[in-house]
Amino acid sequence: MLEINGLVKKYKDFTLDCSMKVGRGCITGLVGENGAGKSTSFKAALGLISYDSGDIKLMGKAPSELTESEKQKIGVTLAESGFSGYLKVKDIVPVMAAMYPEFERERFLSLCRRFSIPQDKCIKEFSTGMKAKLKVLAAVTHNADFLLLDEPTTGLDVMAREGILDLFREYMEEDENRSILISSHISSDLEGLCDDIYIIHEGKIVLHEEMDNLLNEYGLIKADDRQYAKLDKEHILSVRRTPYGYDCLTDQGRFYRENYPDLVVENGSLDETITMMTGGERL
Amino acid sequence: MKGLLIKDIRLMKGQGVVLLAMLILVALFLGVVSDVDSLFVVAYVTILLTMFVVSTISYDEYDNGYLFLMTLPITRKKYVNEKYIFGILISIFAWCVGMVTGTVLMIAQGANTGAGEWIGGNLMCICIAWVLMSIMMPLRFKFDSEKARYANIFMFALIAAVAYGVSRISQYVPENILGKVSGFFSSLGDNGILALCAGIAVAALLVSYICSQRIMARKEF
Repeated sequence: MLEINGLVKKYKDFTLDCSMKVGRGCITGLVGENGAGKSTSFKAALGLISYDSGDIKLMGKAPSELTESEKQKIGVTLAESGFSGYLKVKDIVPVMAAMYPEFERERFLSLCRRFSIPQDKCIKEFSTGMKAKLKVLAAVTHNADFLLLDEPTTGLDVMAREGILDLFREYMEEDENRSILISSHISSDLEGLCDDIYIIHEGKIVLHEEMDNLLNEYGLIKADDRQYAKLDKEHILSVRRTPYGYDCLTDQGRFYRENYPDLVVENGSLDETITMMTGGERL
Repeated sequence: MKGLLIKDIRLMKGQGVVLLAMLILVALFLGVVSDVDSLFVVAYVTILLTMFVVSTISYDEYDNGYLFLMTLPITRKKYVNEKYIFGILISIFAWCVGMVTGTVLMIAQGANTGAGEWIGGNLMCICIAWVLMSIMMPLRFKFDSEKARYANIFMFALIAAVAYGVSRISQYVPENILGKVSGFFSSLGDNGILALCAGIAVAALLVSYICSQRIMARKEF
């Protein structure tokens, strides 16, 4: 669905250097701290910005070459952008119907009611959560094959977030060939949703891993100075100095549990992996 | 394209109707109180409402909306096409409304203007509106609303300066050349001059459209 090879985009004080792939039928996550390059990657993938080098294929074509009918098969939410604040939901419905032949008007309106989105109020008067929900509802109700979702759950409370994540699951269940690329800074959202994950840090992809592997095989080793000195570092991805010794991220948690029974090896989590890959010293 | 037109009509519906009603009221008030020429009313309504079309770009831009708009199934080229089509449609609508208002005022004032002169004057109004739209549209595509405002002021100041310069220079143009130019315009007659103005307006729109397409093609969001 999406293939980014060696994309380089240079700004005055920031360079994005990114390669990634979203396969058919997959939900791929992109995580990283603010300013890591997530939104720039989305913009490049959607042809909204030029880039210095590299190659992007969105549904088999360069983003700038996509026709209107091909763009109709893509649903997008962007973190910092949406429908004009001067429009109301009742204005958006005919616009969407005219732009997307497969727009499900009734479903969209019923979802608006379910998520308490007012139809007769200017979007600029919406809360952050309402705006976020509206963007998602517009993206999932026109039978798109591929969703590109940049921070879709930002500003939502726990209940609304769960509701939106369920919508994404429903969307994927409806057709096994659909795909999603989603970015979020709420790792619990991605842990329960994604098939694979990319971690981006200072414009570079520092880790790509299957989510199952990350949760089942990865581990965080807590070692004191003596234990760390004796540790086999072959499977250590990243190390961070702590007041009591070292935290070590490994992709072979079982190996260390079996060979170093006196070590504390915590189960892998996305939060810890992000912290270690972006804040620790990579080996 | 249809979706974009619906969006712009909906965006304009709220403010546009109020603006139009206000323009008509102010125009009629001016006509009744100050005995202003009814042609002024046509120019006033047509030009101001056409300028308002350019401001729909600001509505698109509000809260970074441009970015999202470009992810919808439209191309940059179609976006520019739509803005020009919408601008022309609204200018024609405003012109018709202005003409009706102006005609009502002219009858009420009991003015004795010939039909040809009246229609010719009206056609000049829409030509001026199109030339102004041609200047403002690419500037608005190029710059954000704040910068575009300064760019507009600069452009209109430049036009005024050029016009003033030409009028000053004309004093130093030899009599025979000036006479030939003046003779050329006299030979055109009213209809010829009107056709020339229409040609200039259409040419301005075409040049403006090409500039806007180029600006939009290179725009970074």
